[in-house]
Amino acid sequence: MWKLVLPLITLIAAIALSAAADRPLPRADFTFINRGDITTLDVHQMSWMMDLRMARLLCEGLVRPNIFTREYTLEPAAAESLPEISYDGRTYTFHLRRDAKWSNGEPVTARDYLFSWRRAMLPENSTDYTTLFWLMEGGREFFDLRAADLAAHARRVKDLSASERREAARALWEKSCADFDRLVNLRAPDENTLVFTLSRRVPYFLDLMSMPVFYPVYPPLVSAHDTIDPDSGRVKTDPSWTKAGTFITNGPFRLMVWRFKRDMRLEANPYYWNLAALNVRSIAIPSVEDPNAAVMAFRTGAVDWVSDVNAGYRGELIAQKEAHFAEHRAEYEALVAQGLDPIEVDRRLPPDPRATMHAYPAFGTYFYNFNCRPALPDGRANPFADAKVRRAFSMSIDKEVLARDVRRSGEVATDVLIPPGSINGYRSPRGLAFDPARARALLAEAGYPDPTKFPVVEVLFNKDSGHDLIAEYIARQWQTNLGVPVQLTTKEIKVFRDDLRTGTFMTSRAGWYGDYGDPTTFLEINRTADGNNDRGYSNPTYDALLDRAETELDAGKRLQLLQEAERMIVEDELPLIPLFVQNNFYLFDAHRVSGVSSHPRSEQQLFRVDILGDGKGAEKALALPALAHPVEGGGGSP
Amino acid sequence: MTRLILTRLAQLPLVLLAVYTLTLALAWAIPGNPLENSERRPPPEVEAAMKSQYNLDSFWSFYWSYLDSATGVRAARDHFSGRAESERRRLESLHLAPPPRRVFDLGPSLQYRDQRVSEIIAGSLPVSAQLGVVAIILAILIGTPAGVLGGVRPGTWIDSLSLAIALIGISLPSFVTGTLLVLVFPVWLGVGKVGGWGSLSQMILPALTLSLPFAAYIARLTRMGMVEAMSSDYIRTARAKGLPESSVVMRHALKNAALPVVSYLGPACAMAMTGSFVVERVFNVPGLGQHFVNAVLNKDLFLIIGVVLVFSTMLVLFNLVVDVLYRWIDPRIRT
Repeated sequence: MWKLVLPLITLIAAIALSAAADRPLPRADFTFINRGDITTLDVHQMSWMMDLRMARLLCEGLVRPNIFTREYTLEPAAAESLPEISYDGRTYTFHLRRDAKWSNGEPVTARDYLFSWRRAMLPENSTDYTTLFWLMEGGREFFDLRAADLAAHARRVKDLSASERREAARALWEKSCADFDRLVNLRAPDENTLVFTLSRRVPYFLDLMSMPVFYPVYPPLVSAHDTIDPDSGRVKTDPSWTKAGTFITNGPFRLMVWRFKRDMRLEANPYYWNLAALNVRSIAIPSVEDPNAAVMAFRTGAVDWVSDVNAGYRGELIAQKEAHFAEHRAEYEALVAQGLDPIEVDRRLPPDPRATMHAYPAFGTYFYNFNCRPALPDGRANPFADAKVRRAFSMSIDKEVLARDVRRSGEVATDVLIPPGSINGYRSPRGLAFDPARARALLAEAGYPDPTKFPVVEVLFNKDSGHDLIAEYIARQWQTNLGVPVQLTTKEIKVFRDDLRTGTFMTSRAGWYGDYGDPTTFLEINRTADGNNDRGYSNPTYDALLDRAETELDAGKRLQLLQEAERMIVEDELPLIPLFVQNNFYLFDAHRVSGVSSHPRSEQQLFRVDILGDGKGAEKALALPALAHPVEGGGGSP
Repeated sequence: MTRLILTRLAQLPLVLLAVYTLTLALAWAIPGNPLENSERRPPPEVEAAMKSQYNLDSFWSFYWSYLDSATGVRAARDHFSGRAESERRRLESLHLAPPPRRVFDLGPSLQYRDQRVSEIIAGSLPVSAQLGVVAIILAILIGTPAGVLGGVRPGTWIDSLSLAIALIGISLPSFVTGTLLVLVFPVWLGVGKVGGWGSLSQMILPALTLSLPFAAYIARLTRMGMVEAMSSDYIRTARAKGLPESSVVMRHALKNAALPVVSYLGPACAMAMTGSFVVERVFNVPGLGQHFVNAVLNKDLFLIIGVVLVFSTMLVLFNLVVDVLYRWIDPRIRT
């Protein structure tokens, strides 16, 4: 018998010993849930929202928008002032802050930016945002030359010995560094000055520069983790450089703990130039994968802000908030009529646990794609190659019902591609409204008097995040309002994306989030042969409009050209059907947490956060200024 | 005994090579681009450059380069060619500590770019192992008595009750039992915590959830063994010589009845200790199980191969441990 029990006792003893090891940290000033875990802290590799959020806490670029202005005004951050821009709009001269420091106390210099941007421009480090550097004079040439050199190196070293390969790889790297200095028009005349020239005038380039891919990395740290692979010639950075205890950054906070899939812990960077402006000194970021657990954690008071609420909870929580507003109807309407920021509206109403759900329009649009190529993947003629057909299909969807009754997440239906009010100075076109009678007439005009003879319309979507409900609704709308036969096709996300890329669909669900504050961030996706033009849409007139806007010097005229381009897309051509503006869903108590912005550009700079009433920091509640002319009956997003 | 251990250990690399080849072939066939983020798509030349960073442009170059670094051949080459040494000197001249040296390099995660597969496994396997061991202990503590109670008096109401509970334990999926346990204990009764990892109180509920199907299986195996043992000749002899019933059951019958349970414990341990996707998700436990599913969804090739190799190794090792235990408990068994 003891032979059976002995192994068991040994195991129990081992567990008791190992469980005694963990010690919890004291509660941080501010705790938030940033999805499961981030994918990277390397600013040159990032493209996910949760990663970018971390970059803005830990690192700092030359400029950043003030997210508490309606105009999203760009302000100097690590730079002393906004840059001097030459008359032709191509040459930028930045003066760096002399008091900007890395988290080890070393000064941030112009050479650090040179190093960082060179790293970001290397083909072996390419990511989603590499092409932004191609706007710099010589950026594209440098990329192509290095890519060609790498390919040549890989072929050449095949029959060399190990040490010869190493030599060749090192020589190639030295050549590439020299190429960079020669080709790319980027210089550091002294420690604090940075000068570069763009290959053409880009009115929104300063806006782009607020993106983390333009943030600096600490050169000694990165080069210590870089190795040159002798076989391919590529420079590889060992990922351990971003680990807590090793990572050196120039932002408001520094990384103290990162236990993957468990938690992160940040503390104020003692060398940060604007340390006095921070209202919280420590930030905890537990990693919570399960969306139900995130809501539970917020309800029990364990976290102060949840960055995304699971689709299953949205409808119910928004309904609760509406009930809260209904209880204070008169006061609520008066506040909305003043054009106040919805966060400010919440603060002026009495505190209520039901008021902690926040849904704000984001910088993204949910839409449906038409395949606009002349033939379908199976070789049949494509009925959607005809703009008339696309217009008819688009006018036969009642988007209001979709947003209100199908989504039930507080989103706003839209007839345009660019979220209205998100870009300063830009006025949206009108778009096509719901008109089923006109839609049927258009379809007849296009050669389909009997809609039942229309080829079976295939709707492609992936099942997650409520896309299935939308697809079913759209299919039903086309069946009833137009009378065409519709077939739903659902695919797993990776297959779905492959099908979009190769044009293997008739119509599909789609969406787009803007990157920077200019209409081109949405309009470029319909340019002929653009990498993100899944629709295969090609129209020389449209491309010419975008080209003209590119060279137009007058800012007002330029925006008019872009407005005309968007009008073409949403009123005449309809390669896509805009459905609704995407929302951000946050959980926080506006009476307690300040620093989260409701601006439609949806960037969060969490170093601005202040816990109201904790006695630390400025204790001043931040909000967007009131609108000068509040929209009639609008602004009431929960 | 030594021969058994040595043969099994010698077979392990071959088993792993076969598992690696098969896993990579299947994982490679998963549709989609593992480097694709969000809905954004860079131009083709950038995409090609991204792929070649990780040898994703050709199956065979990936196959060999992974083998090269995972088996430690690359590290050995660097060591003997003096490259590692010159690298160390270069870093010393910069006054920087060199990155940790890796002999068996399982590569980077494609989804979590700052993590190496070995780091992910090193961080999550101990969590899963801890949880798994507690679950197995609970399963034995629940399953064996239930099986004995039923097996001693087959056909009685106690037997039917323990069989029925075992059936429920096997058939109820853990997302149901897990959610129920969360609802009953922390939410309704206020006992224990919802989610997280670190303290013993956070370990009990997920371990209990994880243990139930194992407990049920053990109960059935024990009962079966007991029923058979209780009707055999040596038990009649034991009773005939006047031993008390408790001693007959515990010392004589259980010893033989436990053998099938012991052999089941090998794969059960490997399964419990490499984590369960559902239990980890419901209780927010940072274990290894989540990566089995997420890595496939993300087509994170290095991570898929890494976790599968860990699982295979554990399976082989636990089966070996069980075989050794078997011979130790019952010396009649010989190879």
